[in-house]
Amino acid sequence: MSRNKIFVVAKNEFTKRVKTRWFVFTTLLGPIVMVGFFTVMGLVTASSLETTEKIISLRDETSRLGAAVVDPSGKITFKPTDANDDDLKTLVLNGDVSGYLVLPNGLIEGTESARYYSTEGGGISNFSGDLRSIIRDAVRLTRLEDQAVSRDVFDIINASVSLDSIQLSDEGEEQGSTAAYAIVGGIMGFLIYITMLVYGSVVMQGVIEEKTSRVVEIIISSVKPFQLLMGKVLGIGAMGLVQMSFWAVLIAAGTTFSGTIIGMIGPPSGSNLPDSASQAEILDAIGFTIPDLGPEVFIWFVLFFLGGYLLYATLFAGIGSSVEQQQDAQSLMIPVMMPIIVSIMFLQAVLEAPNSTLSVALSLFPFTAPIPMVVRIAMIDVPFWQIALSFSLLIGTFIGAVWVSSRIYRIGILSYGKKPSLKELIRWLKYA
Amino acid sequence: MSILKIQGVTKRYGKFVAVNNITFEAQPGRILGLLGPNGAGKTTSIRMIAFITIPDDGVVTYGGEMVSEKSQERMGYLPEERGLYKKMKVGEQLMYFAELKGMGKAEARERIRYWLDRFGALEWVNKKTNELSKGMQQKIQFIATILHNPSLLILDEPFGGLDPINAELLQTVIMELKDEGRTIVFASHRMEQVEELCDDICLISKGEIIVKGALSDIKRQFGKNTVMMDFDGSDAFLDELESTGAVRLGSRSTRHAELNLLGLTTPKHILEVALSHVTNITRFELVEPPMREIFVTAVSKQQGQQASKTV
Repeated sequence: MSRNKIFVVAKNEFTKRVKTRWFVFTTLLGPIVMVGFFTVMGLVTASSLETTEKIISLRDETSRLGAAVVDPSGKITFKPTDANDDDLKTLVLNGDVSGYLVLPNGLIEGTESARYYSTEGGGISNFSGDLRSIIRDAVRLTRLEDQAVSRDVFDIINASVSLDSIQLSDEGEEQGSTAAYAIVGGIMGFLIYITMLVYGSVVMQGVIEEKTSRVVEIIISSVKPFQLLMGKVLGIGAMGLVQMSFWAVLIAAGTTFSGTIIGMIGPPSGSNLPDSASQAEILDAIGFTIPDLGPEVFIWFVLFFLGGYLLYATLFAGIGSSVEQQQDAQSLMIPVMMPIIVSIMFLQAVLEAPNSTLSVALSLFPFTAPIPMVVRIAMIDVPFWQIALSFSLLIGTFIGAVWVSSRIYRIGILSYGKKPSLKELIRWLKYA
Repeated sequence: MSILKIQGVTKRYGKFVAVNNITFEAQPGRILGLLGPNGAGKTTSIRMIAFITIPDDGVVTYGGEMVSEKSQERMGYLPEERGLYKKMKVGEQLMYFAELKGMGKAEARERIRYWLDRFGALEWVNKKTNELSKGMQQKIQFIATILHNPSLLILDEPFGGLDPINAELLQTVIMELKDEGRTIVFASHRMEQVEELCDDICLISKGEIIVKGALSDIKRQFGKNTVMMDFDGSDAFLDELESTGAVRLGSRSTRHAELNLLGLTTPKHILEVALSHVTNITRFELVEPPMREIFVTAVSKQQGQQASKTV
């Protein structure tokens, strides 16, 4: 009978919300916003990684390096000049050239640095790296010439060596770009973050609304507060699951065409899309590697989303029950929100080193687990014991959270007036 | 139909004792008025009856069994602080409440129609609650309370916010429910309504019962010690009587007064004083004290004792 009442509450919460304009709106527009967001992000990343065409004035004070300073990809054109700094600065500021490069006399001996002047500063793009390697090659060549080493030796030294990354897993070797998996993992982690917060606050709002409209006392003369709490969390969770499934289907369909779409829009640099590896990699990651993920990745994604949602929604419900207005909940929410914020803060670190001690620890600790664990599962082969342990801890913590929250909730929903402090909430736990 | 028994019940919140060792019962086919000043422990008692909170000591039984989820399904509770889901339609909302009480859909639908019709509210069935006036919402809340055909009803200020016509309709329905043999607990501060509706009284103050029993018995105990009079002319004599300590004034308006006779004051004395002041007397009657008078007397007596104890 008691399970039945949880079901009645859950059904009501679900149908009531699914019928709202908000639900229809977010369900339909969610993917559009998301696809747009990640497309823009992908394009921005793509354009920052690639070096666009540049014309650079070159003042070679050594009179020897100039001829060797050449961009092998041909995108940077160096224009030799003897003009002084002031004239060159004017050229740069007028936008006639992208920048100017000064190669001082002491550069060959290593006593002075090459100087590059531009309006953009150093930046973090690949451009400064490219420029440095061009100068380095020129300096090396000149130094070797000074030592009467033949050009052949230089070519031998400079011959490129390629490295293919091959990921080992139980199923065998998998050759491919880990970046693609990292992006998928990042998207999944981010989705969990957003949905956990959004659905969690829907639960909290629902609790506050029931309390301020004073309907709650009528309800709990029919069901136990615990049943009301669970029904609410499960009903809204079911709504979330429907929404996520709908999105998943749309995204799966959308990814099939996303490559075409991106091709049509084209990156900001224009139509001459270079065939450089990094560009291909990014396109690959956005559009075409998702199907390579095994179904278990998606199953764990859903399970960790559910686990994380249940844990936080339950805690949010407990907090919601103790206040009468959304604003009053803020200060009580900070300690609960901290772990989520920590896990999203360390998202980058997990993406870069999914097997580091930090990543493993974050993905096992139940309050932070859902996001890093899903990221790791998407990226690498996480040992099963880690996943199992993490999920068990998450569910165990959820059960503990139900115990804590339902005790706060029981007292909270019937307490009006002064907003309770954290200390008072802890005291409520002790009431019979 | 069953008896509701509250036996030796105590409830504390931290160090505060909300209800201290109270015992009373409500009989089927009768209405028990649960009275008391604000903060006396009424809501606490009601919540224990409704199985929303659990007593620290003592037991609450209904039909010989401890109150539980099972008794909740036989009970209809109209709390004093009540509300509805603002954005849900009236019909959906009532259906949800019925389902929570374990009712089947078909039966619930039929009873929702019946009661909405009875309260002249059938056309609201598809309206959202926030489109309804307060009085309308009040009626919907009452319907939600009785929808599942409960044998125990707890009504906390059921008349608040109703116009006289609707109040009368509600009173008729409550009397019908009583005549069908249901056990009804009625909490109110409106003493005229208590007087009209209640068969039994339980008066609580500061967590303790100070008066209980059948309303008629209680009135008899207090005796005919109240003079009700209607008059024309100056009412200055009332102040004179009160200042000599002969009477305590109950309700008083320009041409009406209720005088509670104190000590050895006789009605004759009152009449003599009055005659020498007013131009005419249209009513002079010795009656049992009204419920309000009993309430005030009992509560101030108890609180006076407590005050003297602490001094």
